[in-house]
Amino acid sequence: MSASPPRVFGSTAQLIAVCPLLAMSDTVADALGIGAAVLVVVPLAAVLLALLRSRLSDETALAATMLTVAALVACVELLMRAWLSELRTALNLFLPLIVSNLVIVQYLQARHETAGRAFGGSLRIAVGIAITLLPLGIARELVGRGSLLHDAHTLLGSWAGWSEVGVFRVDMGFMLAMLPPGAFIAFGLLLAARNWLLHRRS
Amino acid sequence: MATRADTAKPVVTLALLAAVLTAIVVLVANVTRTRIAHNEQAWIQQRLDALVAPATYDNDLLTDSIAVRAPDLLGTAQPVRIYRARRAGAPVAAVIRAIAPDGYRGPIELLVAVGRDGRLIGVQVIRHNETPGLGDAFESRDVHWLDRFRGRSLTDPPTQRWTVRRDGGDFDAFTGATITPRAIIKAVRNSLEYYQRNSQKIFDLPSQ
Repeated sequence: MSASPPRVFGSTAQLIAVCPLLAMSDTVADALGIGAAVLVVVPLAAVLLALLRSRLSDETALAATMLTVAALVACVELLMRAWLSELRTALNLFLPLIVSNLVIVQYLQARHETAGRAFGGSLRIAVGIAITLLPLGIARELVGRGSLLHDAHTLLGSWAGWSEVGVFRVDMGFMLAMLPPGAFIAFGLLLAARNWLLHRRS
Repeated sequence: MATRADTAKPVVTLALLAAVLTAIVVLVANVTRTRIAHNEQAWIQQRLDALVAPATYDNDLLTDSIAVRAPDLLGTAQPVRIYRARRAGAPVAAVIRAIAPDGYRGPIELLVAVGRDGRLIGVQVIRHNETPGLGDAFESRDVHWLDRFRGRSLTDPPTQRWTVRRDGGDFDAFTGATITPRAIIKAVRNSLEYYQRNSQKIFDLPSQ
């Protein structure tokens, strides 16, 4: 299989590709919702594309990736509107936007030859994204709103209405945490923590 | 040198993939259509109930509604829905789904409930993109801000004072934002004006 992506598309590209996803992590409920969408779309698209890979040329592979991811995101959006309608109002603007990021992630996965390996590899990435979103959602909601699981009932159903935890009362909140730049700052801190841990271990 | 067959195969695959994916999206759209429509109805009904007390009328607001166009006063070139509340056939209130076009980050969708006498019953923001923490104070820090419209009318306060205090008006802005409250106040006043000019028509038009 020839179409391994150019070297410049290393892990840095992958990192940049997930940035717009990170910006959506302003509450725990939103982070969970986006994480769920990613967990569904990425592995499904990977398997589908791996099965078709031998029938596609290098030129058509990218187009096929785009088509597949866009169609799957459209389906997930419709299903969310039907069964998670209130959360979807919150994600309104952003769900179609994750297409471009997932296309890159997916394209980077193109080197996996078999459906099984593609599934494994992409599931790992999807879980990684979902797991990264969660602490960001927690940190940003905690700092920005002083609560946890605000609006979680929109995701988890009305039984979760009690689950919002008012940690401390804020008048204005720490706004920066809730705005998209807050995600990048939090993400930077998370990376720093990871590097520090790795460094200490070695 | 690629043969014709080499080039054709991937293109055919791509076309087939596109056809199959389109079919899947159409299928999902069909399966979810009624549920999505139902959700939207429930969503708007919930907000209408919060505005106009259900005990004050006896008709179904969602079916007794009209679509009107008034870009100048209702903030959009698109048709705007007006829900009509009646008791035993007599008009009780009209709820106008107006737009405040000049929000800080795009249009703000409102529900403006006007009583038969032209006084405001209440105002709700149903959709907006205002800055979290500042422009969205009406749903977090200052949840009672929208209450101050209750009982107001086109003449109370007089026209020139229908704005934020900073512009010489009667309404407080909330801390940290002026543009958002200004946009909402203006849209509410315009809705009242639309109501006053068309009150007869609003209740007489057949539902559509």
